[in-house]
Amino acid sequence: MKYEEVPTFQPRLKVLNREQALAIHQAALEILQNVGVRMEHKAVLEMLVGAGCQVSNQNWVTMPAILVEEALGSAPKEFDLYDQRGNKTIPLADGNYFYGTGSDTTFTLDLETGERRRSILKDAANFAKLVDGLENIDFAMSMCNPADAPIEDIYVHAFAEMVKNTNKPIIFIADSGRDITKIYQIACLVAGGEKELEQKPFILNYSEAISPLRFPENVMEKLIFCAKKKIPICLPSGSNAGGGAPVTLAGAMALGLAENLVGLVVHQLAGKGSPFLLGPNVSTLDMKSTIVSYGCPEWSLTQAALADMRDELYGLPIWAYAGSSDAKIMDAQAGAESMFSIITAMLSRTNIIHDVGFLEYGNTSSLEMVTMANELVAMSRFFTEGIPVNEGTLALEAIERVVSGEPGSIFLMDDHTFEHFMKAQFLPVLLDRSRYDSWKGAGATDLYQRCNTEAKRILAEHKVEPKTDTVLKGINEILKGGI
Amino acid sequence: MSEFRALSEAIIKGDVKMAIAETQTALDEGNKVQDILDNGLITAMNEVGDNFSKGLIFVPQMLRSAKVMQECTRMLEPFFQEGDVTSKGKVLIGTVKGDLHDIGKNLVSMMLEGAGFTITDLGVDVPPEKFVEKIREIQPDILALSALLSTTMPAMPLTIEALQKAGLRDKVKIMIGGAPVTEKYCQEIKADAYGSDAGAAVAKAKILLGID
Repeated sequence: MKYEEVPTFQPRLKVLNREQALAIHQAALEILQNVGVRMEHKAVLEMLVGAGCQVSNQNWVTMPAILVEEALGSAPKEFDLYDQRGNKTIPLADGNYFYGTGSDTTFTLDLETGERRRSILKDAANFAKLVDGLENIDFAMSMCNPADAPIEDIYVHAFAEMVKNTNKPIIFIADSGRDITKIYQIACLVAGGEKELEQKPFILNYSEAISPLRFPENVMEKLIFCAKKKIPICLPSGSNAGGGAPVTLAGAMALGLAENLVGLVVHQLAGKGSPFLLGPNVSTLDMKSTIVSYGCPEWSLTQAALADMRDELYGLPIWAYAGSSDAKIMDAQAGAESMFSIITAMLSRTNIIHDVGFLEYGNTSSLEMVTMANELVAMSRFFTEGIPVNEGTLALEAIERVVSGEPGSIFLMDDHTFEHFMKAQFLPVLLDRSRYDSWKGAGATDLYQRCNTEAKRILAEHKVEPKTDTVLKGINEILKGGI
Repeated sequence: MSEFRALSEAIIKGDVKMAIAETQTALDEGNKVQDILDNGLITAMNEVGDNFSKGLIFVPQMLRSAKVMQECTRMLEPFFQEGDVTSKGKVLIGTVKGDLHDIGKNLVSMMLEGAGFTITDLGVDVPPEKFVEKIREIQPDILALSALLSTTMPAMPLTIEALQKAGLRDKVKIMIGGAPVTEKYCQEIKADAYGSDAGAAVAKAKILLGID
């Protein structure tokens, strides 16, 4: 008989149903209606009053639920990010997932010495180039907070390094309305103009308000800027459980979502229909060290729950994290924590997944970690794609050939294996499956050493399609104007 | 062991009712206020600090103990007499100009208070001149500066500069801390100590003031 293609499951992790999602959403609305937020941007405050919010104590704002519902209604449910050549590489719809690096680490693991040292601009360049050369890393962030850039324009310089070293989409940080303008100028140069950038955005801004419920002036400047220019933005607040937010995850999510929804309301009032990502970043504050954990199961769990809230209620693309660790070196802990967050972020279908490559709770960045994550993402993707069931994969003919064939017939020799093995199996590159003697003969390396070698190889061999001289000249002028 | 063992135990456990009752008993029995403070309250907090350093307890447990200790101290305050040494030292603390983050700073305040220091907290986004003004007013032993953002960190050297101009730099020890701050940065801007976390801040404060 003939076997038609049978649709099979692609494993999907669920945390909340509609009723549970609504309970958290209702709590978020109640926070906005009853507790309120501190809004420190005057014009935004006036705008919110004009829209129906109440103000007390100068800048304390309570927000009616209807405003939130309106903003949820006007924000786009789907939008796309493009690479710097204008190709749509990040279609943010449904459960599409994309991995990328993070920003603002103070230290970087030196590729040559392995030493943890202060990050510099060259590191931002290296990370961008590595991202450009890695198949499963879809976007770049600066990774570093470079010590050798002028502090007032630190984010402009980091952005310039990224633009020079990758053509993938860039998620960027800015300090206020001042430096975001310069970054925008550079982005326009690359895209070929304001209109071109608006049509095919390759940038997304990541900003943070302050938990609990505080919206500083400089952060609102960036939000308004992005809303008006239609630059996609994500605005979490650091509502980590036990630190910025209550220690219990439901409450931390409600608070984080309340903060996100304020951002969304302001954003949609300033630029109706502009693209916005939801994502409250609910990690935990470690109860011994007081660091915000980048390897905890809580963050993975809350973002999986957020994916369900997206599907049940919000519809907006969401922001997530994965591929990082609290370990200080790339050891077994770093591998375990990385994989835990990478595969769960994928299984729960979060959309933009950042912070790949962090060590030391986001304080140190590692090129080796990003290189490892590239392979862990591939491994997770293989799992998540499930088991295709059709004529070819059921392989009845091959079974018959081998069983009833000449003595000595084996599957390994059969054409079916040759034709299918590349897709039918996950073929690791850095995860070592060699036999003991070959492993020993090849230097008895561990995964960290192999990732180090691979990162060095990519940095030495990978060619990034360069920007034109006009663009490079323009960037230099913008940078000079800022110093 | 101290005669205030039950009081110490109550503080270590974070049992506010028991601790208040024990403090009252200690007062009723006619003990010296200084003795209750030193051998009941501070002894307990030292033990809590040790337990925390050894990883035996968690931050919320330590903070609960600190809170209970404060309640007890408040009961003793009306009985303090001039000349009583009630504080390990005066600390003026704040998050520097441009920075609105205060979780780390609040944690440091709480821990220092638990260790017997007196805290004056100027809050967040504190401009250098406000620090200068307050130092003139209360003459603290230590100025503690916090910053979470690398972009606001430069307000630390600016604050130190303002102290220099005001002729106050030698009058106070300066401690700094916050996510982007490092030991090296501390040396660069000529601060006196860097605390990598709240526990370290207490240890450094004690070293700065020569307290063992």
